[in-house]
Amino acid sequence: MTNLPLWLIPLFPLVATLLLGTIAVVSSGSKKGPAEGIVGGLAVIFPAMSFAVVAILAFGMPEAGIRETLCNWIDIPLFRADIGFLFDGLSRIMLLFVTGIGTLIAMYSIGYMHGDRGFARFFAYINLFLFSMIVLVLSDSLLLTFLGWEGVGLCSYLLIGFWNKDLANCKAANKAFIVNRVGDIGFLLGMLCLVTVGGSGILNYDALVAFVGMIVNGGHVDLVLPVLSLTCILFFIGCTGKSAQIPLLTWLPDAMAGPTPVSALIHAATMVTSGVYLVARLSSLFVICPDVLNVVLVVGALTAFWAAFAGLFQNDIKKVLAYSTISQLGYMFMAAGVSAFDASIFHVFTHAFFKASLFLGAGAVIHALGGEQDMRKMGGLIKKTPVTACVMIFAFFAIIGFPGFAGFWSKDLILEHIYTDCNWVFTGTWLADGAVPMNKIFYVVGLFTAVVTAVYMGRLIIMTFFGSYRGSKESEAHIHEAPAVMLIPMIVLTFGSVFGGYLWADSIGITFFRDSLASVLGAAEAFDPAVRLSPEIFLDEFVPRTGAHVNPVIFAALGTAAALLGMFIAWKGWGKARIPEIPKGASSAPEGYAAGWTFLWDYVHGFFVKCVFVAAWICDMVVDKILQAVQWTVGAIVTILGDGATVFQVRKVRLQVAFSILGVAALVLVVLLTGGIV
Amino acid sequence: MELQPVYIQVLALAIFAIGLLTAISRRNLFFVLMGVELALNAVNLSFIGFAKTLPAEQSVAGQIVPLFSIAVAAAEACVGFAMVIMLFRKKESVDSDNYSNMKG
Amino acid sequence: MLLNLLVLAPFAAAVLMVATSKEDPKSSSRLAFIFGLAFVALSVKLIVAGNTATDPIEWFRIPGCKGPVYYYLYSHGLGAWMVFLSTVLSLVALVSARVTSCQNYRNFAIGIFALMGAMNGTFLAADAVLFFFFFEAMVIPAAILIAAYGGKEKAKAAMTFAIYTLVGSAPMMVALWFLLTKADNSLLLSLAVVLQDLPAETQFLVLASFLLAFIVKTPIFPFHGWQAITYAEAPAPLSAILTGAMSKAGVFGFIAWILPIFPLEMSAVSAMMWLGLVTAVYGALMALRANDGKKLLAFSSMSHLGIAVAGVFSLSEAMLPAVLVLLVAHGICAGAQFFLMGVAERMAGTRELDKLGALSGKAPVFGTLFGALGVMSLAVPGTAGFVGEFTVLLSLWDMAPFAALVMGFSMILSAAYVLRFIQKVIFGKSENEYAAGPRLSGLEGASFGVMAVFLLVVGFHPALVTDSLHLFDEGAVEQMSDAGKDVPAETDEDMDEEDEGLPQAMTPEEIDQLDSSLKANGFTDEERKSLITQVVGAEAALALESRVKAGLAESQDSAKTNDEALNKEASND
Repeated sequence: MTNLPLWLIPLFPLVATLLLGTIAVVSSGSKKGPAEGIVGGLAVIFPAMSFAVVAILAFGMPEAGIRETLCNWIDIPLFRADIGFLFDGLSRIMLLFVTGIGTLIAMYSIGYMHGDRGFARFFAYINLFLFSMIVLVLSDSLLLTFLGWEGVGLCSYLLIGFWNKDLANCKAANKAFIVNRVGDIGFLLGMLCLVTVGGSGILNYDALVAFVGMIVNGGHVDLVLPVLSLTCILFFIGCTGKSAQIPLLTWLPDAMAGPTPVSALIHAATMVTSGVYLVARLSSLFVICPDVLNVVLVVGALTAFWAAFAGLFQNDIKKVLAYSTISQLGYMFMAAGVSAFDASIFHVFTHAFFKASLFLGAGAVIHALGGEQDMRKMGGLIKKTPVTACVMIFAFFAIIGFPGFAGFWSKDLILEHIYTDCNWVFTGTWLADGAVPMNKIFYVVGLFTAVVTAVYMGRLIIMTFFGSYRGSKESEAHIHEAPAVMLIPMIVLTFGSVFGGYLWADSIGITFFRDSLASVLGAAEAFDPAVRLSPEIFLDEFVPRTGAHVNPVIFAALGTAAALLGMFIAWKGWGKARIPEIPKGASSAPEGYAAGWTFLWDYVHGFFVKCVFVAAWICDMVVDKILQAVQWTVGAIVTILGDGATVFQVRKVRLQVAFSILGVAALVLVVLLTGGIV
Repeated sequence: MELQPVYIQVLALAIFAIGLLTAISRRNLFFVLMGVELALNAVNLSFIGFAKTLPAEQSVAGQIVPLFSIAVAAAEACVGFAMVIMLFRKKESVDSDNYSNMKG
Repeated sequence: MLLNLLVLAPFAAAVLMVATSKEDPKSSSRLAFIFGLAFVALSVKLIVAGNTATDPIEWFRIPGCKGPVYYYLYSHGLGAWMVFLSTVLSLVALVSARVTSCQNYRNFAIGIFALMGAMNGTFLAADAVLFFFFFEAMVIPAAILIAAYGGKEKAKAAMTFAIYTLVGSAPMMVALWFLLTKADNSLLLSLAVVLQDLPAETQFLVLASFLLAFIVKTPIFPFHGWQAITYAEAPAPLSAILTGAMSKAGVFGFIAWILPIFPLEMSAVSAMMWLGLVTAVYGALMALRANDGKKLLAFSSMSHLGIAVAGVFSLSEAMLPAVLVLLVAHGICAGAQFFLMGVAERMAGTRELDKLGALSGKAPVFGTLFGALGVMSLAVPGTAGFVGEFTVLLSLWDMAPFAALVMGFSMILSAAYVLRFIQKVIFGKSENEYAAGPRLSGLEGASFGVMAVFLLVVGFHPALVTDSLHLFDEGAVEQMSDAGKDVPAETDEDMDEEDEGLPQAMTPEEIDQLDSSLKANGFTDEERKSLITQVVGAEAALALESRVKAGLAESQDSAKTNDEALNKEASND
């Protein structure tokens, strides 16, 4: 059974895309639209089949992974790339939850999108997205990963702007695509950097690892380090775009304009984590550029911290979750920044479950309230929609890191690694005299962010499910629990968010998850200068790891304390507080200082956009006008000369004839007198 | 007195000059056309005159060319008069000085 | 035969179209469709056939020039694909125009066929004068079509287009004439040889006048003044041909005529590369502000062609296939976008982006195609545009990393304006009810769909396009060098001392010499190889032809003497 070809995995969603796309186009003319049962069935069965293939392959996978080269893609002088797939520990984990959660969310969407005019179109996009995402994680080379990378960006664009009657949705979609494009250019240039160093073959992951191994073992790291650092920075720019990190994060909150299942699938569970996946995939490259890792760490920490606070100010339930996603992605990058790539992937895995359940829960709430997203108009829903409330509360415990839940294990692991593995010592003199061990600072930032996480998530749960209902009376009557087709995926995901963490519970001695990734990320560990080199050589840059000295129980205890503290603050702050009545039609966007904090990066982006528009204005109104003027001047000069020539044009035909005869006569005379001109 | 070839040439020149002057000095388009015809015929006459100077078998060329020329002149006259009529319809005049569109 | 058919038959088709009814567009459109289809089939066959050439036929002699002008066509990968673009876009234009310009469909088709013949001639000519002839001839049917079928400012647009492009190539004509007074004939090699010996200033002047013609045609900043108004005012099917095939004549000229014959200095190369990049960014910025859908597409086209020109002058090894894929992708994609914009204009009665909107709701199939082709123009991986832009980016990165960064910037901008374009045309709520113009016809939709599929196929299998270049260097070189060996052997036997003045096929030493001189002038291996292929091929053909001519002259001479003898006898009698 294990010799199933790898291309089957992306094939199923692709076939579904084609089928559903055809249905969508063909049925677009009819009044009723296609039968939802058939469309929904198709849309779920194909990803499910992919999932089945992945599952079968996952159990029989050899230690080194499965490689498969399908065909040649580009073959020109200087550049050659193949279409090939690589199924190893890392892509196995990613594929399992991408196809698994993808299937569940497709199923959920059948209920959520019921009655929508673009039912078939929606599922065609979803399947296209799954295809791209599978290609992204399954490919064996950077170029093919880029195909998936832009493909998911495109699907994200299509799905954010799914309800394209509303121009605001279109604008959000455009923004998402363009901001991602900026990152994608980083990705492209990063690839070119690599090609410069090692030829086009190096884009293959195996070849890349072999190349890095060669330069590390040969001691040539110093020689290529500047180029490789630039490469890593460029790739990281790509990651900041896709994974919504500072500075390219403004698109993700806006992306909530799409249907909620899309937010759950694309903007929480899968697509946005592809940046983390890429860093893990390129771990052997990143790990030899410690400066870049420090950048990753700083960016991750800042993003986690900033987004957690921004989440605190939101009134829109989906926006809270969006900022929460950004914040959690920041955690993942912090882990990657201290070379704990396995921990970051583990957090990707657990986060996929609890964030998907949170989003699906939020979707069920929005569905129940007939499209209302403002938390100030919710409240007391635990009585009306008990199952949804349970799902969200379990997921809430998972995200804040309540002991035993999935998030507890992964987040604790990250914080622990930050403390033990961060071997960056700040030696600048302007901050303090001498060396500052950055690990403590980042640990404190991470822990503090965990408290804030618990606060804003607590606020969300309290405002939504507790207290009394604050919406209008007539809308209250319509509140209903979601249908079974929506509830079943939510419940399945809840199991994941409760028990997913036990795949790697360090404290109780389970390291299954880490072991399954070891074959992939082992290379990075081997190349890690901090491990490989004796610390005396780079004393001012590296300090030896301190991990052995700290008892992991202390980290667990501190993490638990942070979660409890956050819950307590949330209960104090919003548990009893009366939320003021809001006027009808008021925007749910934050105001005042909160807006300043929330839209900080929008202002930065706005500045750049303004610059581009000014440049465009100059081109249009200055340069082009000058060129036109020059053109006009040349034309005018020619016209004037032409007018001058008309002087010789006499008014009378007879005179002209006479002139021409005289001319002929003169010519004849000249010829006669001189014997010819030539 | 024998007819010298040069006399014929002188006559042709005179007729050509008359035709040319008519074409240039008259304002009426019909007279202009008649002048052109006259000039053409003068050229024909000149051909014939030169044909006379050549030996018998080679003088044929000089006698044939006027025949062609007459045919062309006839065609030209057709077209020319048609054009004059069209112009007259347009301008209600056959005065050549009224046609000054080329001036721009 | 194939080449002659592709160049001359369109003119014949144009003449035949005259016989169809002017009043009844149905019959004429059927005939036009069949012709168009036949030409597409021929162009596909041309691509499959690889390198072919016709026998050079002496056409005429220019006074003051040494050698004759040949009617001599040859096809290589690049030219064959450009011909493919011209035939395909003409076919789709004929299909699309059926719905738009019913009144005078016949005349439209005549114009399109004439234009197609001229374009094919441009892409296939092996003789510089022949190339120039077709290069100029393209303008005339295009200008007439604009003047007859254009929008509100059609007269102005046609005049601007014709005058700008004709004046732009006038210096080239003078420079070409100047070269011909010195060169043996007007084939690539002899021009290249002549240029080697010219003083630097003259060389620069000649180069500048050649460049100007192609810069104007492409168009490259700052000589793009004609483009926006022309593309906007031309009927949409014609705009598609103009941007998809005709503007390629400029880039084609850079590759096929500038690079082989001019010993380019590095400063000139990098100047052209930067000019291309400036055009790319400038076009993108202008497109960002355009409010006329067709103008937006015109500027977008300008931006992409700027990238292509920058790629050409990156002179990296990957340049030729990269630019070829980019050109094919852009030709099909931009062409389809113009067609679709034409459909939008037809449906909504306006091209202004602010007044358009919500067309996806009204015409879902149209919306799907419009969106899909718009996205394909963004060079999303998996489409032909990506392969082209990525490989051009690679070439640029090879030359100057900063240039690649600039191109990356223009790619970001392209996302901005294309998405804005899509949003304005097909999304949103329509504020005003449109007059119900004719919608997308089935055949039109199918042809746009086929174009989209073609882009996807090339995106995943670019070898389809780039392989036609492989044919070019390996098998062809052997074949041609074999021919080169055979010919001199024969000539030695047949020819006497008196034939010294006739061109001879090149000896291997000469080829080596040429190769090293080209190398010294900074040509890459790939280019040298292809150049030598052309040179050897042309020379071999010439040698063959001169032999035949010498033979003919001989027989004529003998005939003459015979005649004279007869005459003498007659006069004696």
